[in-house]
Amino acid sequence: MIVTRKAMSRRTVLRGMGTVVALPLLDAMVPALTALAQTPANVVPRLGVVYHPNGVIYENWLPKGVGQEFELSPTLAPLAPFRDQLLVITGLSSHQAEALGDGGGDHSRATGTYLTGVHVRKSDSVVGNSVSMDQVAAKFYERDTQLSSLQLTVDDNSLVGSCDVGYSCAYSSTLSWLTPTLPLMAENNPRVVFERLFGSSDSTDPRVRASRLRQDRSILDSVTARVRQLQRKLGPTDGTKVNDYLESLRDVERRIQKAEEQSAKEGPEVVQPAGVPDGFEPHVQLLYDLQLLAYQSDLTRVITFMYGREQTGRPYPQIGIPEPHHSLTHHQNDPAKMMKCAKIQTYHVKLFVDYLTKLRATPDGDGSLLDHVILLYGSGISNSDRHTHGPLPTLLLGGGAGTLKGGRHLVYPDDTPLTNLQLTLLNKIGVPAATLGDSTGQFKELSELS
Amino acid sequence: MKQGTVTTCICLAWAAAIGLEALTAHGEGLPDSHSGLARAAHAVLAPAAFPQIAAPADAASATPPRDLVMRYCVSCHNDRLRTGNLSLDKADADHVFNSAETWEKVVVKLRGRAMPPPGSRRPDNATYEAVAGWLETELDREALSHPNPGRPADLHRLNRTEYGNAVRDLLGVEIDPNALLPPDTQAYGFDNNADALAIEPALLDRYLTAAARIARLAIGDPSIRPTFERYTAVKGNSNEQTWLWQTDRLGEDFPLGSRGGIATRHYFPLDGEYVFKVRLARTYADLVRGLNVPNEIEIRVDGTRVGTFKLGGGGPEVSAAAAPAAQDPLGVKNPLNDADEGLQVRVPLKAGLRQVVATIVKADRIKPEGLGPDRIPIWTREYDVPTVPVFISSLLIGGPYNGRVSQDSSSRRRIFSCQPASRNDESACATTILSTLARRAYRRQPTDEDIQTLLGFYQQARGDGDFDAGIRAALERVLVSPDFLFRIEADPDKVARGAAYRISDVELASRLSFFLWSSIPDDELLDLAIRGRLQDPQTLEQQARRMLADPRARVALVNNFFAQWLQTRNVWLLTPDANRKYPWFDDNLRAAFVRETELFLDDQLKADHGIVDLLTADYTFLNEQLAWHYGVPGVYGSHFRRVALTDENRWGLLGKASVLAVTAYPNRTSPTIRGKWLLENILAAPVPPPPPNVNTNLEEDKTGKAESVRDMLERHRANPACASCHARMDPLGFSLENFDALGQWRTLDGGTPINATGVLLDGTRVDGPAALRRALVAQQEQFVRTVTGKLLTYAIGREMAYYDAPAIRSIVRAAAPDGYRWSAALLAIVKSQPFQMRRSRS
Repeated sequence: MIVTRKAMSRRTVLRGMGTVVALPLLDAMVPALTALAQTPANVVPRLGVVYHPNGVIYENWLPKGVGQEFELSPTLAPLAPFRDQLLVITGLSSHQAEALGDGGGDHSRATGTYLTGVHVRKSDSVVGNSVSMDQVAAKFYERDTQLSSLQLTVDDNSLVGSCDVGYSCAYSSTLSWLTPTLPLMAENNPRVVFERLFGSSDSTDPRVRASRLRQDRSILDSVTARVRQLQRKLGPTDGTKVNDYLESLRDVERRIQKAEEQSAKEGPEVVQPAGVPDGFEPHVQLLYDLQLLAYQSDLTRVITFMYGREQTGRPYPQIGIPEPHHSLTHHQNDPAKMMKCAKIQTYHVKLFVDYLTKLRATPDGDGSLLDHVILLYGSGISNSDRHTHGPLPTLLLGGGAGTLKGGRHLVYPDDTPLTNLQLTLLNKIGVPAATLGDSTGQFKELSELS
Repeated sequence: MKQGTVTTCICLAWAAAIGLEALTAHGEGLPDSHSGLARAAHAVLAPAAFPQIAAPADAASATPPRDLVMRYCVSCHNDRLRTGNLSLDKADADHVFNSAETWEKVVVKLRGRAMPPPGSRRPDNATYEAVAGWLETELDREALSHPNPGRPADLHRLNRTEYGNAVRDLLGVEIDPNALLPPDTQAYGFDNNADALAIEPALLDRYLTAAARIARLAIGDPSIRPTFERYTAVKGNSNEQTWLWQTDRLGEDFPLGSRGGIATRHYFPLDGEYVFKVRLARTYADLVRGLNVPNEIEIRVDGTRVGTFKLGGGGPEVSAAAAPAAQDPLGVKNPLNDADEGLQVRVPLKAGLRQVVATIVKADRIKPEGLGPDRIPIWTREYDVPTVPVFISSLLIGGPYNGRVSQDSSSRRRIFSCQPASRNDESACATTILSTLARRAYRRQPTDEDIQTLLGFYQQARGDGDFDAGIRAALERVLVSPDFLFRIEADPDKVARGAAYRISDVELASRLSFFLWSSIPDDELLDLAIRGRLQDPQTLEQQARRMLADPRARVALVNNFFAQWLQTRNVWLLTPDANRKYPWFDDNLRAAFVRETELFLDDQLKADHGIVDLLTADYTFLNEQLAWHYGVPGVYGSHFRRVALTDENRWGLLGKASVLAVTAYPNRTSPTIRGKWLLENILAAPVPPPPPNVNTNLEEDKTGKAESVRDMLERHRANPACASCHARMDPLGFSLENFDALGQWRTLDGGTPINATGVLLDGTRVDGPAALRRALVAQQEQFVRTVTGKLLTYAIGREMAYYDAPAIRSIVRAAAPDGYRWSAALLAIVKSQPFQMRRSRS
């Protein structure tokens, strides 16, 4: 499906024995990649969401001018080479992330609400949200790909509990909600992501993988039989647990079946990453590379990615900002601090641009991967100092398989629900949806010049 | 129906055997009860009021609750208004058990003095106690003959901590479950809540992957490809960028005379060669630091030095580093960018679990970091200067190379209970091995079908490979079996609907081991369970005591129970304002907060102190840095040692920096959060969440004048909507105001002197932490009840309901004669109805 082994450089992640300076996974191989399955007649759109925590310095972010005549702002300047596939969208807000009587916890609500448009339940014991926009799409595509979706983050996810006054960590640690009570935890370890994509056989060798898949399948069959037996023994269960279990088994089985169908195709020979690489930048690059690889191999069509959880205190010494990010964003209009925040946001955009560059260099069907993705890039907080949830900094990148017309700054009336945009995007990629959270309608302007 | 009757009778007899002693003592034999309470020295019930009120339930006259309710409650809590969604009109005040759910709510409100709301006409303290006591006596007496042990989920998934422990105890392999499995959700305070432990596709995927990896590690697979594991200096921090200062020995795992580094446990799957590679800390410009002077770094495996690196001490690369300004970080490569490239050593090692340490040999000229409030923010410390001492930022362990399957690794010895002498023996031996594995993993006697299933996997893989490959395939199947991954509790075949029944011995064995060890039963416990011997109370008690004496119990309870109950796990999430307020906060101090609490709790359990000693203990465990933080003189060096606390404000949990910091904001204290924490975790009187449409943010004074948090909160409480709850939370929290957001002692806040006067729910006035503690101790039964409720929630993995209240009170009474010692309380839980019984499906 993707690549011939000959064309593949073995210099991928690990540079020789004992070296784990994580090279960006694809640097050496992007030019060699050829998508075999994708023909011009067979283009599929993909959806990605990229979330950056702790808001923005809005005046540094907001482009001047509207429509086609806009001028990139300092924060967005690195996007210049992608201007023709960029839509800057302003005027949107996430009203449901406001307190609405729940008091503090804006950071948790910002992420929790971002893709659901629902006012999340304030609790650190019982979570309550709604199915997120990416999962609506994932459900639609689940029969076509091995994995219905992927959730990635840079932050360590080993901590659970209460992350923000009275809110479960689930709200600030992931964007994806499979059900109103089931958040899908985001993964930060590239090795684990790799295993989910390519299996745990240490290898992308088709024979090794095939034998691994056979073993997995017979284990699943046998486990399914046992769960059915338990279901009979336990009788009608109190909750949905056995059904969830069987449903999950079916889902994994579907993935394995899909993998077996595709196992005749050659996969890219990629050595699995050793784990979390040293430093933020190589880590982000590796996670972006894995996203590209997943899209390119059509292992999944839906990905959410977070630069970090809300309130992250990550310092950015590599760009001269050793202070913790979150406390910096409570800048109280101190210009020096605001400049530092803006610098971090520009840095995030730069790393995103590296990803866009690779997407554009990756052939896919009649064009490039960038032509066929829709990437929503933004944050659930606007002004981090005051915890506002609008106007939200929102970008769309990519061609969406002919559904998006970039090169414009679209301005909507203040307080237009962010979910209107997300609902529109779902329909653009062929996922029929009538409403999403607090949505009030759809946008016509994304594919039309206005 | 007949069956049901029989079952219930058994239960009653059994319930009487375990609970009646305490209950009858309370209801009838008052002298006993009092002497028991008197031994505990702080009876809460007013002795004079109690016997007068304890009238029989069928008294025709108004019962104490009816009297109280009519006088103080029904004007709001009636059918028409239903204030707080509670009506007391129809509650049966004569036979209170008929309205147990309502009356248990009333008990909580009375004991917590939460109702009537402040400002309304309220009963006096004696009446509060007397009515609550009367209700409890009645409810408990009836509960005894109508046991309702609740219904924990029939499928209770192991959380990832338990999974890791189970793998360790089953196979002798230590893995990092956090790297293999996704995180679990917390509910009702704990991550072992059965309802919250969901099942989703990604999780099953990860179980498959984990099983394959663990089976290969445990049995050894000559075809394992070399892989690298990376360990960082701050545990659980996947990024290298930390504020861990490495100028001193970091803990007991490190050799004397060392400074900094990384200590970890690593499982080596084969006899073979392994690579250890050290990566050093860099400046912001990505230059390796500290190479201006000679340094010696060593690698030790199980205490034996296997490699030494000498580096630094001059040379051209250091001269280059001396002029960092000339370096363009994006331009020409500086030799210091990869000066640690060669720090690796390849060592032959035997398979097994080993302790690996990478550390720096301490040289005299490295001065410990100066301690003092005038220190500059740690992130501005000379991280940018290449002459800051060498720190180790990560340790990579790679391999195996030239690996051979070890015949005597600890895990193989554990798994291979026989070795086939010839091909003919293989089938019988495989059956033996797999039966033993299944028994331990499934925590019960395996069925023929279990064994046949596993043999099927064995045979398939044996056909394609060798004997090991066969066992490995079957082991993978074991590790993804629902019988391993879930604690399964099923109603017995012929039990009546909605009846309380005693769970089976093997189910009880799992409850016991997951409660005390966060892991599977060991062979001794399991053997007894399979033989039906846990029915015998003496055997059960003897097993529980044996398990408590095992160090695994203290590790599991400290890390999984206490750290979640006290919320001290959140220390790892603290982000104190390092810019202005707490520039000296670094990861050494963070780790010290955690370490102190762990050592203190471990000691409390080990010495089997009373539960109340958690509040009153006049000792703790400190190293120099934490002692400085507390203002305790005379503690030198980085190792922790037991220290007597002369300042009684520091005694017990309420003086611990971990507790005080997780109940504060990054830049200031919050009496509200501390008050709420005390109400929920110490006083069993939780507060409801803020009402809708209330601004919960503190407004700073418009004129911008400096003011204390107390001033701001006083203004907040002027709003009556806020006052109803804040009047309960804030006054409690105020009494801890002498501790700042990191738990340091202070006398000023915002320039004004600290006012640490507070008011308890019963009106007791306190001033400062010590007075608060004394007042809490005076009501110690509330505290013991709180701890018991939390313990029971954790022990059975479900939220507490009204029908658990009698059991909780019974546990407290059972532990009272023993001064609420930990052993007594934990045993009483093990003996309680909710722990030993279950309600069948209704």
